[in-house]
Amino acid sequence: MEVVEKRLGEDSVEGTKKRTALAAALVHDLGHGPYSHAFEEVGKRFNLPMAKHETVTDLLIREGEVCTALNELGSGFASDVANVIKKSGPANIYGAVVSSQLDADRLDYMQRDRLMTGTYHGVIDFNWLLSNLEVGQVPYGADDESVGEIETFVLGPKAIYAAEAYLLGLYQLYETVYFHKATRGAEKLFTELLARIITLAQDGSTSNTGLSASHPIIRFAKRPDDLQCTLALDDSVISGALSMMKNSKDPLISDFSGRLRDRDLLKCIDISESLNQKLGLKTSAKSNRSKKSKAVVPSATASKQKNSTAEEKQRVDSLDKACYAVEKRLLEYKEGNRSEIPQLLLDKPPERSIYRPFEESKGPLNQIMIRPGFGDDKPIDVASLSQVIKAIAPFKAFRVYMKDGDKKTKKAVDQIIEEEAKRCR
Amino acid sequence: MPVKNEKTEAEMAADIVRDAGGKVVGRTRLQKMAYLLEISGLGCGFPFEYRHYGPFSEELANAVVNAQIADLITEEERMATWGGFYSIFKTTPGAGPANSNVNAARKQILDLGMEANPISLELAATAAFLAAEGNSEPWAETRHRKPEKAAKYLDDAKALYAQLRSIKTPKPLPAIP
Repeated sequence: MEVVEKRLGEDSVEGTKKRTALAAALVHDLGHGPYSHAFEEVGKRFNLPMAKHETVTDLLIREGEVCTALNELGSGFASDVANVIKKSGPANIYGAVVSSQLDADRLDYMQRDRLMTGTYHGVIDFNWLLSNLEVGQVPYGADDESVGEIETFVLGPKAIYAAEAYLLGLYQLYETVYFHKATRGAEKLFTELLARIITLAQDGSTSNTGLSASHPIIRFAKRPDDLQCTLALDDSVISGALSMMKNSKDPLISDFSGRLRDRDLLKCIDISESLNQKLGLKTSAKSNRSKKSKAVVPSATASKQKNSTAEEKQRVDSLDKACYAVEKRLLEYKEGNRSEIPQLLLDKPPERSIYRPFEESKGPLNQIMIRPGFGDDKPIDVASLSQVIKAIAPFKAFRVYMKDGDKKTKKAVDQIIEEEAKRCR
Repeated sequence: MPVKNEKTEAEMAADIVRDAGGKVVGRTRLQKMAYLLEISGLGCGFPFEYRHYGPFSEELANAVVNAQIADLITEEERMATWGGFYSIFKTTPGAGPANSNVNAARKQILDLGMEANPISLELAATAAFLAAEGNSEPWAETRHRKPEKAAKYLDDAKALYAQLRSIKTPKPLPAIP
């Protein structure tokens, strides 16, 4: 908000809106359940409204002690805060503090997650980014229809390298933290484990879960619409229950809880990486990164670059087709080889751009805009000034998890990969 | 890519484009038409949640990507006059010929969606989403959440929604006072 005041002038910034934006930034994620996104995945499968963090956040802000505390700042303040969050996006500069390409959340979690995981990747020059943060007008629309202009955060021209580091860092964190194969493997186990417990509890088979009827997980499974049952769940409740689940009569619950407790995760096969190698692609082993390695070659001629782009597109298309074909066959294999403990867990998250998606059409709100410092000086997409950013392809992953030593399943997966690679060659 | 019924999600996404006449202009239009089909009982099971542009299904967005990989549809990106980009989706021969047995109500919803202004369609779908979620004043809430768009297009959105509601669908679209 200091940036907004500095750029727009203190007199232009309305005090209530300022306080509302700050409070919204602070409390907008209050409603996350245990293991956050993995819990939401379970909620999606069973259509559980309280597993959506947006729903719980809204209720917490509008009711109870959070509401009381917020309303001490003014009558109806809690409701104003909840409304800013509900708008879900950079509707104006106040909303941009809560949710935009350069919002407080993203700038915070990148630093926090580095600290908590101990990684040295993804370092950002936070102070420099903040010093060069400005307020600008950018156009927006829906499909081919213009809506007008909107006030949001843009960067000043001196922030180009900080912007590169920010986006490249985010991309690296996708690979090394958020979508790391071990993280995702554990999340897959958690999702299947919780899904099975909910199924048994809702079917009246609580005694097979290893948990007592009064355990918070069972209470949530039986009353998923109850806010208090949801709030009783957190990471420690789940991890503390793993030993009890290990004694479950249900094979999946017993096996998966033991694996999570003992960190005996399933073995991961990186399907896209395997296909990349089998398709004989000359570029970097990591399919997502190959565009970068090509785009930063400084001596490439225009014609070579054109060929390189066409080759790159062909490479990505071949790989996408092969991945799609393998996915279909693995699902068929899984369906045809059903067992109490699934032999395969597939993980193919939707591709992730380094930009946060707000618009369904591609436009400035989906980009980091920077004032170039030349020409008409109107904010432009930072990717148009940086070959590094331009070259970062969306993050994609396709992995399958299976029990270590399951030779039959491994052989079947290898065979499917081999056959589909041959077909796509 | 969970397999539901007999069709994959990619095929179901391609079906929407094909049933809309083989060409859909805009991601917003595609998403909102799919949502309206879903809540009127004429969809395929895509789950929707509230995003900046109203009801949005990540599963549908993913299915659209897969439909391109499977050569069922193509996506062409064009620059919009406002400076962004919009997409044009077209079915390929791989999606099969036009279905002459499309459910009449499904066809009517898609026809109205295709003719509508994308912002009006977004506002109508947003109000429908809010009503389905139990909001007591969906139009007022839509205006509150999208003031710039509502200022110009809310009346058009209301008229569009009235037309949509007049279609006899398996599940009636929610009444919005």
